[in-house]
Amino acid sequence: MRRIAFLWVGLAAACIALGAAAAFETRATKLQAIKTVGIVSAIGEEMSLTQAGLTALGNAGQRVSISAWGLDELIVQQATKLLNGRFRVQPVNYRRAAFAAIRDSAVAPVNLLRSDPFKELVRSDVTPQGLDAYIVITRARSKLGNGRNVEGVGLAEYRTLLADYGLIHALYEVRVIDGKTFDVIEKRAAAPLDNTGTVRIAGPSGPVDETFGGPASGERLRAAIADLITRSLPVTLGDMHLIDGP
Amino acid sequence: MVGIGGEYMPDFVGSKNSKFLPIPIFTIRRAGSIDQFRGPRDSASIALLDVGNFRAGPAFKYVSSRKSDKYSELTGLGNVDAAYELGGFVEYYPVDWLRLRSELRQGFGGHTGTVADVSADVIVPLIQRLTISAGPRFTWKSTNATGPYFGVDATQALASGLPVYDAGGGAHSVGFGSQISYRINPQWEVHAYVEYEKLLGDAADSPLVKLRGSSNQTTVGLGASYSFDFRIR
Repeated sequence: MRRIAFLWVGLAAACIALGAAAAFETRATKLQAIKTVGIVSAIGEEMSLTQAGLTALGNAGQRVSISAWGLDELIVQQATKLLNGRFRVQPVNYRRAAFAAIRDSAVAPVNLLRSDPFKELVRSDVTPQGLDAYIVITRARSKLGNGRNVEGVGLAEYRTLLADYGLIHALYEVRVIDGKTFDVIEKRAAAPLDNTGTVRIAGPSGPVDETFGGPASGERLRAAIADLITRSLPVTLGDMHLIDGP
Repeated sequence: MVGIGGEYMPDFVGSKNSKFLPIPIFTIRRAGSIDQFRGPRDSASIALLDVGNFRAGPAFKYVSSRKSDKYSELTGLGNVDAAYELGGFVEYYPVDWLRLRSELRQGFGGHTGTVADVSADVIVPLIQRLTISAGPRFTWKSTNATGPYFGVDATQALASGLPVYDAGGGAHSVGFGSQISYRINPQWEVHAYVEYEKLLGDAADSPLVKLRGSSNQTTVGLGASYSFDFRIR
């Protein structure tokens, strides 16, 4: 009986290993076949303001519009520069608000079972159609503290008993969507830029100091977030094998 | 996350003596996600529903077997097999520093009863790296979850010298727990905790507890853990 159980476990492990190897092989083959790409970016319309740690009751996060900062244009420009060596990047038109409106379900299995919502949007909303692939950059989410979610671009404050800590974040994920089948070939969330911060957040972030207060703070904030994006984008695209690394 | 810890805990639930047990620490999280507050008494769980301040999902707890030949107080009471408790949890953060958690689990194996745990934890970050937490706990158990550990039937009474006792369900224990954790760097964290539990109701009134054990149950633990990411490139 035990021998049969071991055999089944061994068989299952072999199937998983073979399946994983086949999936990687398929993904690599699909990436190699891509010649023309279009880039969609939809993370920079709003900024979240969040407090975590020792906060008051009823402290809900806020959102402010930052569309004037042109972060999505910056991302498309940076990604085009990085990808142009390997792919022919063509400009595309799309409704940014439609991409920005899509949220993950709070029920984790739903996200695993449902079809990727960005696939349909690329098919219906992006012009021109017919490119080999579309690179879609949208908001990602992370926990901050224990009971707060933060996503996309934002300014957060983590309050402790003895000190308060500010941080900015630019949380995003990148999908490579096949331009013919609209399958998601590759998907990855941008990782933290370094591993030294102690306010832990699952994506590019950095500390905020007092220079973000006072006049012209908006411009400094924009520059700091643009810096996060500029530094993290080559790492993320490199992790996805879309460029040769930073 | 992997790590090693140790617990100084009662020999068995209701015992007045304690033992030291090494505890492995092992947690898997989705790549890129961060670890969240976890209480020492929490069962293993997965948050399938997560809306930020409200989480829910399945929970599992393993209750080790109780061997009568290991401790003299249990002589004549026979063994209780290991139990597997399956159920669910909900936890709610009305504010970032207060966690309310409840678990409801059904036992299989050593006991076939229902167990409900309710706890609250005030989580106070002193600085970024240092967090303390503390709060009350309450446990309710059904008759089938209490009987195998605290009841004494006629055969057991003859063999053990304890009076016959029919342990029913109800409020099982009330307690208080406290934890301190210090993150040395993003990878390493050390923590220590103390959990006190006062047995109530039929568990506290059991002759095993009254005559040979104690209704005061204290567990002290400490550990160190190392977090790392691995990605397949």
